[in-house]
Parts: sequence; structure tokens; C-alpha cells
Amino acid sequence: MARIELRMPELGNEITEAQIDAILKGTGDMVSEGEEIVTITTPKVTMDLEAPATGTVLEVLIEVDDIVAVGTVLAVIET
Amino acid sequence: MAKSIHIDPIATRSPTELASKRIPVHAYARALADEHRVRGADALLEALRHMMVIRAFESGIASLKSTGSYGDLTYAYKGPAHLSIGQEAAAVGAAMALTPEDHIFGSHRSHGEFLAKGLAAIQMLGDNALTTIMEAHGDGALLRTVETHLPDESGRGLAENFLLMGLLAEMFMREIGFNGGMGGSMHAFFTPFGAYPNNAIVGASAGIATGAGLWMKSEGRDSIAVSMVGDGATGCGPVWEALNFAGMAQFERLWDNAGFLPVLFFFTNNFYAMGGQTSGETMSWDRLARIGVGLREDACHAETVDGTNPLAVADAVQRKRQLLLDGKGPAILDVECYRFSGHSTTDVNAYRTKNEIAAWGAVDPIGTFRESLVAEGILDTATADAIQSDVDARMNAVFMAAADPAIAPPPGLGSDGAGIGRKMFTGSETPPDRHAPEPLADPAKVVRIRKNAKKSRGGRDANGELISPLKAITLRDGLFEAILHAALIDPRIIIYGEECREWGGAFGVYRGLADLFPHDRVFNAPISEAAIVATAIGAAMEGGRPLVELMYADFIGRAGDELFNQLAKWQAMSNGLLNIPVVVRCSVGSKYGAQHSQDWSGLAAHVPGLKIIYPATPRDAKGLMASALASDNPVIVFESQRLYDQVELFQDGVPEGNYKIPIGVPDIKHVGSDVTVLTIGPTLYPVLEAADSLAGRGVSLEIIDARSLVPFDYGPVLESVAKTGRLLLVSEACERGSFAMTLATNVTRFAFDALKAPPRVLGSPNWIVPGADLEHGYFPQPFDIEDAVMTDLMGDAGHNRTGSRRWDDLALARSGL
Repeated sequence: MARIELRMPELGNEITEAQIDAILKGTGDMVSEGEEIVTITTPKVTMDLEAPATGTVLEVLIEVDDIVAVGTVLAVIET
Repeated sequence: MAKSIHIDPIATRSPTELASKRIPVHAYARALADEHRVRGADALLEALRHMMVIRAFESGIASLKSTGSYGDLTYAYKGPAHLSIGQEAAAVGAAMALTPEDHIFGSHRSHGEFLAKGLAAIQMLGDNALTTIMEAHGDGALLRTVETHLPDESGRGLAENFLLMGLLAEMFMREIGFNGGMGGSMHAFFTPFGAYPNNAIVGASAGIATGAGLWMKSEGRDSIAVSMVGDGATGCGPVWEALNFAGMAQFERLWDNAGFLPVLFFFTNNFYAMGGQTSGETMSWDRLARIGVGLREDACHAETVDGTNPLAVADAVQRKRQLLLDGKGPAILDVECYRFSGHSTTDVNAYRTKNEIAAWGAVDPIGTFRESLVAEGILDTATADAIQSDVDARMNAVFMAAADPAIAPPPGLGSDGAGIGRKMFTGSETPPDRHAPEPLADPAKVVRIRKNAKKSRGGRDANGELISPLKAITLRDGLFEAILHAALIDPRIIIYGEECREWGGAFGVYRGLADLFPHDRVFNAPISEAAIVATAIGAAMEGGRPLVELMYADFIGRAGDELFNQLAKWQAMSNGLLNIPVVVRCSVGSKYGAQHSQDWSGLAAHVPGLKIIYPATPRDAKGLMASALASDNPVIVFESQRLYDQVELFQDGVPEGNYKIPIGVPDIKHVGSDVTVLTIGPTLYPVLEAADSLAGRGVSLEIIDARSLVPFDYGPVLESVAKTGRLLLVSEACERGSFAMTLATNVTRFAFDALKAPPRVLGSPNWIVPGADLEHGYFPQPFDIEDAVMTDLMGDAGHNRTGSRRWDDLALARSGL
């Protein structure tokens, strides 16, 4: 059992923040590594963030339309 | 979707061999009797006569150039004479197989192609259609001249006089020439006969014809576009770009109306590129047709055909045309023939032997064809001689009339001498005459559009704080909104460039459009800047309104001819017969060093014929882009990458609805009293910073954002300088030869009495753009602006300079800097 965090990734040195477009998994959902959990938009692109590990979503720490800085923990997965 | 094509590493890496279709060389073997039966005697006799007309016309020009006289005429013809004497069968054979709706785009050596196409079209069009066409051209002025001053004829004879007179008067630079004398020998064209612009730049017609083919496909027309260039053009990169573009796999795999572009690449192969021998010296290929193998398994249906026999050429063009109409193009024809005349009148044949010229003379297309018709019993010698006499008599009359300034006067230059200048831009807008098809989805449901709807239209909140570009409309969004609006209502707008579809452009301006528009409206182009611009020009000539993107302004060099010789020129060179409504977007980069960070707006402004805009705010970007897309004239849009996330600071916000800001009007962004600062592009923002700092020292700046470079209304700047007496111009372009220098010169001239100090240009220095960490010492910074204001304009000798520019401009100039 380990707790793995999904963080807002570095997307090049010009991008400092992104907006949450959609939350695709909720607390208690099972996810496989590589499965999309959150959709974000930066000024330039829209992209899906994937589960870093297979397990259960323990917490979702953001809401749709939130603006999050690079490095922010978005969700926690328990393996 | 590109994602639907899976690149399988197992399949890709399996051993195999590539094979291509074999290329027929001189396979035509039909007996003349069969041609006679199928085409009829009249068609064969017309082919002979058309070749005679072309030969007589060009012999007349050759005679004028070498002796100053022809027939009864003595005349000093000063223009170029790139003659195709000996190549007549290639031109006439092609025209026999094309309809007036098929469009040819030729070369600098195109009198023959033009006349052949016109003569063939006259044969195909009925008398009523011909009358309508001739009456419509130039309010019937050319027709009246021909009716009044040439021997009485009607129907086709009259139309032939019209054709010959229109071309010759054009070459003599007369008002009644097909293009008002603005094109001349190498460029004349007349679209109602399917003869589109001929081009003095070798190979340039390939990309333009490809764009014509693109629009023909878009409209589902039953016609083809023909690129008529020479063998030497196979050495030109843009020709290869065009060949690739015409056969892009997406036309077959991703577009709804599957099929490649209907473009015939017709190479008139006379074995010489001016004085260099193509096969054997300057080219890699042994036979020109082999280049088809380099592109496609079907070898682009390439064939080498006998260009000394009009029927061999007609047979090949007929077969290729059908393949193209079936969506199986593009096709290549290598049409071998021989130019007896020199490249031009200064050519002394230093590169070829008399023996070679004589050997080809023995297979002269006209003599050979005439003899074979006589041998077949289709023609007798007396009739052949009579046809030749008629042709010569007609030509003599046309030459006499065209050279006579009382019959064909030169174009007027206007009372102020700027008559030609007024042909550069129409300043017009032509709205669409039909509705665009329904978009693929409800725009309100597209994520980008939904998110924009929630954004603040202004860039500051109630407390005056800046809003994140994720929550306020940015310059990128402003561009997007104008483009979306135009694309939804105007089916003529097609959008392409590198990464434009799924990616939405490298900087995300188009993000969301792929959800709304099919591939024929928004598509990814290859990394072929020349083809991107050239095809846009061709599509525009056919009625489209392309919006194309060059990812970086630095890539303008890759499309130099297409932007500067083609896009900028055809409006005026056509004497207003063609509009070229193309919008070219290019971003100005930063942080990427010398080849990705250059502001070349001044380079584009230097070349007459392009409108240039460089918006710096979201509101201006949206309004100016709307004007660009509505314009009938070409517009280049410069966009600073640093400003894509810029929110609106100057107005209440970016209006939601569509609106236009006229191109050419600078905008006062900040009112002041001591120094006028005219900014180009993103320099607006460091100037704002400097203004804040200088205000603390009691110096007030009036900031004017140029917004456009061409056209440019000096009025607001002169008014401001009348008030302040001082002018600083700030631009990111290298100072030498920049547009800011032009502005400074003109303001000095027109506001000299009001000036308290000479205007100062603050641009980038005349050396390479360094990488990100050193840019602050290159692009004008707030400190540099303050220094220039205080020292050069306010004359404060005690000013403590804080910027990095401490160099001596005059010393640097001596070193080439």
C-alpha cells in the first residue's frame, strides 16, 4: 500500500498554471496506470493527465475551473 | 483525424522492397489515319494553323528585336523576348485536350502556350459566348479597337484578332493589352479562355497551379489546373513542394471528398535551362519523367512524350486529364521539344552546336506536321500555303495596329503620376455570395468556445488587478474569435499551415476549429512554406480566401518568392482583373535565438503590394484580423509570441460580437504631453513601463501603437508631434532599414517645424538575436526607452543611464553594425 500523488506537471518553462477542465475519476474509483483522471487547459493546449499508478482514488483535491500552479497535488491514489 | 492512422512498428519495420510503376517513353504510336478518323480533318488542320499563328507571332517579335522591323512595321520593341520557336506542338497539343474551364499557369516563355490555349478556347466556345467575353473585358475597349482597326471579321476570326491584339498590346505596354500593359511579355493572361497568369519566376507556376487545383477540388469542379513550366524548373525547390502538396495522402485518406488534386505538371522540356543543359549537366535525372518515381508508387503517372508532335501531346494530356478528374492525380508529363530561338535575344548559342540545332530543324514540328497531313491527303500544298498567307497577313495587320499609339495608346499615369500605384490595392471587401455549410458541431459546445464564454472580456478585475490569461480573453482568443466568426459565415475561407488542425497551430490560436470544420476547411500542410503561400495564391485566384500560417516570421525566407513576387504583385500586374484575398499569419518569436526571433515586418513592408498589420492588444487583434479576412487584398499579420497570453488593458474589454478595426490607423494608447512614442508590435508594453517610471520624474509620454505598417495614416502621429515636438519610435526590428526608420524620416519631413529634437529610432541592434538569457540586451527594454527619452529627446545631459546601450552608433556603422 502506497499513496501516490498526481501533480500538475511542468509543461515547459513558459507555463506556470493551468485550469481544470474536467475531472474524469472520483474518490473511490479504481484506476489503471495511464488512465486519464483529469483534463486541464493551459493557454496553449488542452490535455489529459494520466494516473501515475494502478489503484484506488483516495482523494480529489481540485474542482472544475480551478486554476492550479505547476506542482500542485491534484489527486491521491492508493495502490 | 491524424490519430486514426496507426503507425505500427512491426509492419513498418518488416523487410520489403519498393517498386514503382514503369514510365513510358515515347510510347505514342497511333497512325495519323486513326487520328484523322477520330478527331476529324478540321481539328488536325486547326492544330497546324494554330502552330503557324504562334510561329508567325514569335517570328514577328524576333524580327522586331533583331532588325527593328517586321512586315510593314518599323518599331523598337523594348521588352523581353523569351521565344518558344520550335516548341509550338507542345503548346498546341496540350490546348487541344483542355477545355476553357481547365486553367493553365505558364512560364516566362509562354506566348505560345497562351496563344494555343486562347485559339483552342475560341474553337470550343460558341459565337455568343465569345461576344459576351469580349464585350465584358475592359468595357469592350479592346473589342472596339479590334473591330475598328483590323480587317472586318466576325465570330472566331474576330476573336482571334482580339486574342492576338490583346497579347501584343500587352507586350507593347498599351492600355488595351489584356492586363492594361501592367504585365507584359512574360505575364500576359486572359482568364475567360482558361489562360491564367504566366510567371517570370522559373517554377513559380507549379505552386500556384496546385492552389488552383485545391480550390477546384474544394468546389467539386469538373476541370483541371495545369502547371506549364520548363525542364529547368525541376531544379527549383518550390516545384518539388508543389508536387508533394498536390499528392498529399490526406486528400485520399482523410478528406470527405476523396481524391488527389487535379493538377497536371506539364514540363516543356527543351533540354536547356537558359544555357545549362538539364539532362547531362545540371540535373541528376537522366529523363525528366523519372522524378515521378521520387514521389509516388504510381510515379505520378509520369510519361515522356514527343513534344514535336501535337497529336502525341494531345493524346497524353487527354489521358492524364481523365486520371485527374477521377481523383488519381497529380500527373507529370515530360514533353520533349526543342527551342530553335535563343533563350532571349542576347543568346548567341554558346552552349550548343549548329549541328544540334540543324538536326532538330529537320524535325521542325510545323514542317513535319504539314508534310504528314499532305501525305495523308488531308491537306494539299496550295491550301497549306494559303493558310500560311492568311496567318501572315493577319499578323502583319495586328502588329501594325498594336504598335500605333493612336490606335493603342499607353496607359495614363494619372495627373499626379501615381496611376500605377493606384492599381496596387482595391481596398474593397467582397462578402460571400453563399452560406457556409453547417459546422460539424454546435460551436457553443466546443470546449474552447465554452471556456472563452466564461472568461472576463477585460484584463483587469474590479480592483485593477491583472486577471490570469486562463480567465480573461487574450490576444490569442481575440484572433480566434475573428477567425471563427469569418470561417462560420464564409465558405471561401480555408485555413492551413503546419500543425493547424489537431494541434491548433503551434501557439494554439486555432484550438477548437478541428471540432467544427472538416479537412477541406482546416488542414495540416507539409513543412513547405513556399507551397503553403503559393497554393494560397492559386486558390485565391480561383475564388477561395485562404488563411495560411508560417509558424515563425523567420520562415518568410522559405516563402520569399511566393510572398514578395507573387502575393504582392498579381493584383497590380493583372490590372485589377484578379484579387488575391490571402491572409498570411506569422508569429514573431523570442527566446529561441537568431533564427526564431526576428521581427521582419519591415522586410514585408518594404515590398509594395502587401498590407501589413502587427496588433498588440486582444481588441486590436480581433478587429484587425476581421478586417484582414474581409479584405480583397493580401494581408500579412505579424503576431508576437510574447503577446499571445496578453489580456486587454486599454479598453473596457474585447467586444463579444464581430467588429472590424480599419487597417492603417494607428491608435493612441496613452495620452501625454512631452514626448510622443510610436510603438510597433510588442514594444508597446516596455514603453508603458517606461512611461510609469518617467511620469515619476515629471516626463509625460504620449504612446501611439502603430497597429498597421501598410497602409499607414500619419495623421494621428503628426498631430501628436505638433503637440509634443518630440518623437521616439520603438520597434523590435533591427534598426538598419527598418520600418521605424521610414516612419521617422517621414515625420521629420512633415513635422519639421514642430520638432524640438530629431526623432529617435530605438530598435534592436544590427546583429543576431541572442538566446533567451541575453535577450534583455537586445530587444529594447524599459531602461533603454527611458535613456533614449531623457538623453536624446529631453536633452538631459545629467541623466544617469541605466539601460545597456552605451555603444556609439556611428562607430558601429563603420564596422557594418
